[in-house]
Amino acid sequence: MIDVGHFFILGILLFSIGIVGMISRRNIFVMYMSVELMLNAINLILVALSHHYEDLNAQVMAIMIIAIAAAEASIFLALFVMLFKNARSLDANFFTLLKQEKHHDEL
Amino acid sequence: MMSSSLLGWIIASVFFSSVFIMLINLYSKYNDDIPQRVYTLLGLGGPFVSLFLSFLLIYEHLYKGINFYYKAFIWLDLEGFRVDASLILDPLAAAMLSFVSLVGFIIHLYAHAYMKEDPSYARFFAWFNLFMASMFLLILSDNPFMLFTGWEGVGLCSYLLISFYFQSEENIEAGNKAFILNRIGDFGFISGLALLFLQVGNAGLDFASLEANIHLIPHSTLNLIAFLLFVGAMGKSAQIPLYVWLPDAMAGPTPVSALIHAATMVTAGVYMVARFNFIYAITEEVGLLIAYIGALSALLGALIAMRQDDIKKILAYSTMSQLGYMFMAVGLGAYSYGIFHVFTHAFFKALLFMGAGAIILALHHEQNIKNMGALKEKMPFVFVMMLIATLSISGLPPFSGFFSKDAILNHLFASGNYLIFAMALFTAGLTSYYMFRLLVIVFISPSSKDHQLLPQAKLIQFTLLVLSIGALFAGFINLPVFFGGDEEYSLWINLPDIRFHLSHSNELLLLISNVAVSLAGIYFALSHYMSSSKDPSLGVLDKPIEHKFYIDEIYYAIFVKPLAWLSVFIVRVIDEKIIDAFIHTVSSGYQRFSYYTDSVQNGNVRYYALYMSVAIVCIFVYLGVS
Amino acid sequence: MIYFKQPINSALSLIVTLLSIAGLFALLGGSFLFLVQIIIYAGAVVTLFLFIIMFLNIKEESLPHEPYKARWILLMSLLISPFTLFLISAVNNIKFASLHLKDFGSIKAVGMELYTNWVLPFEMISILLLIALVGVVILAKRETNRD
Repeated sequence: MIDVGHFFILGILLFSIGIVGMISRRNIFVMYMSVELMLNAINLILVALSHHYEDLNAQVMAIMIIAIAAAEASIFLALFVMLFKNARSLDANFFTLLKQEKHHDEL
Repeated sequence: MMSSSLLGWIIASVFFSSVFIMLINLYSKYNDDIPQRVYTLLGLGGPFVSLFLSFLLIYEHLYKGINFYYKAFIWLDLEGFRVDASLILDPLAAAMLSFVSLVGFIIHLYAHAYMKEDPSYARFFAWFNLFMASMFLLILSDNPFMLFTGWEGVGLCSYLLISFYFQSEENIEAGNKAFILNRIGDFGFISGLALLFLQVGNAGLDFASLEANIHLIPHSTLNLIAFLLFVGAMGKSAQIPLYVWLPDAMAGPTPVSALIHAATMVTAGVYMVARFNFIYAITEEVGLLIAYIGALSALLGALIAMRQDDIKKILAYSTMSQLGYMFMAVGLGAYSYGIFHVFTHAFFKALLFMGAGAIILALHHEQNIKNMGALKEKMPFVFVMMLIATLSISGLPPFSGFFSKDAILNHLFASGNYLIFAMALFTAGLTSYYMFRLLVIVFISPSSKDHQLLPQAKLIQFTLLVLSIGALFAGFINLPVFFGGDEEYSLWINLPDIRFHLSHSNELLLLISNVAVSLAGIYFALSHYMSSSKDPSLGVLDKPIEHKFYIDEIYYAIFVKPLAWLSVFIVRVIDEKIIDAFIHTVSSGYQRFSYYTDSVQNGNVRYYALYMSVAIVCIFVYLGVS
Repeated sequence: MIYFKQPINSALSLIVTLLSIAGLFALLGGSFLFLVQIIIYAGAVVTLFLFIIMFLNIKEESLPHEPYKARWILLMSLLISPFTLFLISAVNNIKFASLHLKDFGSIKAVGMELYTNWVLPFEMISILLLIALVGVVILAKRETNRD
C-alpha cells in the first residue's frame, strides 16, 4: 500500500538528484534547473507533512516558496543573459571571479 | 600656635617653584622668550620661602619644645601595609633642616650669579629647586618610605644636574655612573625596608612605631636589616665600595657640586643612620662595620686627594673622606657628633666649593691647579675665604671643624677601637696636608701661566662671606665640657649616644695630639710646596695613588664589560636569532600553509557546492553511525 | 533531466516532473497548491526558462564541453547516497497514517490561513516580487544601453 511515508521518500530522492545535478553539470542552465528541482522536492515534503499533521501552515509555506522561486527565476535568467552576452559561454567553470589569487611574493 | 601644615609648605614651595619654572620654560619654547628675571624670581623665591618657614617653625619648636607633626594624606592603605605621607619636625629633623635650608638658599644665590650667562638657566633652577624639595622631603619625613621617596628624588636630581651639560658624552656617562651606583645602593635599602616591613610592618610604619616594635625582631635579622640599609647609605654617601661616582660627579656645574655633593645629598646617608638609631644602637657588629668602612673611605679619599690636580676632584675626594668621619661617628654610637660634623662640614665644604667656583669662573673655566698660581694678590677676598675654610677642615681651633672633628676623634679613642682611631688620626694629618697643598699651589706658588682674570660678581662675594661666618663660628654651638660648654647641640638633638667618659688628662692629651697631627700635615705641605710645585715622591705608592688605586678600571673590568657583553649577547643571539626567528617561523609557516591550501578557493561555484555537500554528508554519516 | 546535453530537453523533462508533483499535491489534499503549481511553476517559470533558452540562440559550440559527465554523476550519486539513505531510514521510523482524501486544503481554507496568520510574509513576498521585477528591468536595460 502506498502511504504518506512514500511521499517523503520520493521527496528525499528528488532532492538528492537535485544535488547531484547541481554539482556534476557544467551547463549553468542545467545547474539552475537542478536548484528548481530541489525546491520542488522540498515543497513535496512540506505538503506531505501538512497532510500528516493536518495543519495548513505547511501548505502556506509551500506557496511562499513557489512565489520566491518565481522571483528568483527571473533574476537568475536575467543574469544568465548578461553572462552569456559577456562571456559567450555557458560553462560554469568559466566564471571564476571569486578565485583566490596565488601570491608568490608573500612567501 | 603655628600650624603644622607649614611643614608641608616648606616642601611645597620649592616643589611648586620648580614645576612653575618647568612649565614656563616649556611655554617659552613655543612662544616668546621669557625674561630671566621671572625664573630668578621663582627659582630664588621658592627656597627663600622655605628658608623663612623653616626658621619660623624651628624657632617655634625651640621656644615651645614641641614636635610638629603633619599628616598630608594617606599614601598607601593596603591590607596590613599602611604608609602615610606625613612629616615630622623633631630635634634631629630640625637640626638638618636648619642648615639645609640656609646653606641651600645661599648656594641658590651663588648659583644665580654663577649661571647667569648660561642659556639653560631655567632648566638649572628647575632641577635645583626640585632637589631642594626632595631633600626637604627626605629630612622631614616621618616614615622610611617617604624618606626613600626623598632619597630617590635627590638621586634623580643629582643625575639631572650632573648631566646638565649633556652635550658632552663624558657628562652623561658621569651622570649615569652616579645614578647606577646610587641604584645599587637603593637595592640594598629597599631590601632592608622590605625585611623591616615583613618583621614588624603590621604595627605601623612610621619611625615611632618602628622604634617601639624593634625589640620584636630577632637579632640576626636586625643585623641584616641594618647592613642592607647601610648599603643604601654606601651608595648615596660615597663610601667604599660605591664611591666611584663622586669624583666623576664634578662634571656638573660648581653650584651643584657645592650643594648636592658636599653639603646635602651625600649627608643623607649619615642622616639615615641617625634616624634609624634605634636599630643601629642594638646591632653593634654592623655599627663596627660601618665605622671600619668609614675609616677606610676616609683614608682612601685622603690618599687619592694628595695627588689630584683638578681642584674640584680634590674637594670631591675630600668630601668622601669627611663623610668617612661622619660614618665612623655614627657607626660607633656617637650620633649627635656625626650630625654635628655634618653641620659644620656643610659650611666649610660649601665654602670651599664656592671659592673654587669663583676661581674657575675668574680663570675662564680653568680647573687644573697646576695651571693656577699666585692668586693671593689677584683674588685676595677668595683667598681669605678659602683660608678660613681650609683651617676649619684641618681641624684647628677655634674654627668649627676643630670642634666636630675633635669630638669624633675623642669618641673613637674612648670607644676602644684603636685601629679606627689611628686611621682617623692619620687621615686628619693627610687632610690638612692636601688641603694646604691646594691652597699653596693655587694662591701662593708662582703661576706657570698668565691669566687674565674676569671680574667677580658681588653676589658671589656676599655668599662666600655668609658661609664663612658659619665656618668660623658654627663650632660654638656644641662646645664640649672641656672647654666650659655644655654640648647644647648634642643635648638638644637627644639621640641615644653612647657616652664615654674620658678623664681630664686623657682629653687634654687627645686634644694636643689631634692638633699636633693637623699642624704636622700643614707643616709638611708648606715646607714642600712653597718651594716647588712638583709632588713629592712616595716611593712605590706613587703610581697606585695617582691612578686612584685603579678602582675604576677594576670595576670596569669586573662589572661593566661582562654586563655589556651579556647585553650584546642577548640582543644578537637570543633576541634576533632565537626569539625573532621563532616568531618569524610561525608567521611564515602560516603563510606557507595558506599558499598550499589556496587552491580550494578556485572561484568555481560547483566546487563550493561540492564541498558543502561533502560536509553535509559527513555530518549525516556521523549522525547515522552514532 | 540532469543528464541531457541540450538545455531544452532538460527543461521539457522538468515540466514533466513539475506536473507530476502537482498531481502528487492533489493526492495529498492540497487542491489549491495543485493549481498554483501548474499555473505558476509549470506555466510561468519554466515557460520563461524556455523563452530565455530560445532567445539566447545557443549554438552547439557554445554549449560547455563536458567529457566526464557520466563519471561525475556517478561519483556524486555515490557521495550523496549516505545522506539519502540516512534520511530515508529516518523517515521510515515514523508511523504514518494511511493516505486518504480529506476535505482540507481547499482554496478557501488556505486563503483564510494566508490572510490571517501569514499576512506579513504575504505582503513581504509581494514586495520581493516587485524588487525582482525592478531588478530584472534594470539588468536588462543596462544591457541595451551598452550597445
